[in-house]
Amino acid sequence: MSARVGKPAPDFETTAYMDGEIKKVKLSDFRGKWVMLYFYPGDFTFV
Amino acid sequence: MGAVVLAISVDSPYTHKVWQEGELSKMVDGGLPYPMLSDPGGTIGQLYDVYDREAGVDLRGRFLIDPDGNIQAIEVLAPAIGRNIAEMIRQLKACAHVRGTGEATPAGWEPGKQTLKPEAGLAGKVCEIWAPEMAF
Repeated sequence: MSARVGKPAPDFETTAYMDGEIKKVKLSDFRGKWVMLYFYPGDFTFV
Repeated sequence: MGAVVLAISVDSPYTHKVWQEGELSKMVDGGLPYPMLSDPGGTIGQLYDVYDREAGVDLRGRFLIDPDGNIQAIEVLAPAIGRNIAEMIRQLKACAHVRGTGEATPAGWEPGKQTLKPEAGLAGKVCEIWAPEMAF
């Protein structure tokens, strides 16, 4: 499954740092909302 | 707009924490207000075709996903090129407008500007209601 406009965004589950804590996050948890998913090369670089 | 922002890189959640506490919180009061996701080994980046195997990092890819979970816009930039946040927000507004009204948003559309209603009668007559100057 690859990412194409008009096609479902590939779902995934991973860990996230949010609100000072490390939590599990699944993309499909956000169904019902608009999502801006940003990939970036690495921390300590500019986003 | 109610949109969720998710940032993701190959860094671990612990690295995200150190970056947030050590640097980002000095640039943004209270630190980044959105989740920083971890993509160990670039497996998620590979799903989205933005993982650079040689460099071992995810490229600067951005995916706008609608409330049904479908991708509506994609942008991928080389690592040294920064993004245009205003353009991302404009695209989000355009996507939300299209979804809500069924109308189309021509080049350079901003909220309040002329939209197009897709219908057979419009074919060949776009020039009557829209001009290239309106894109700027």
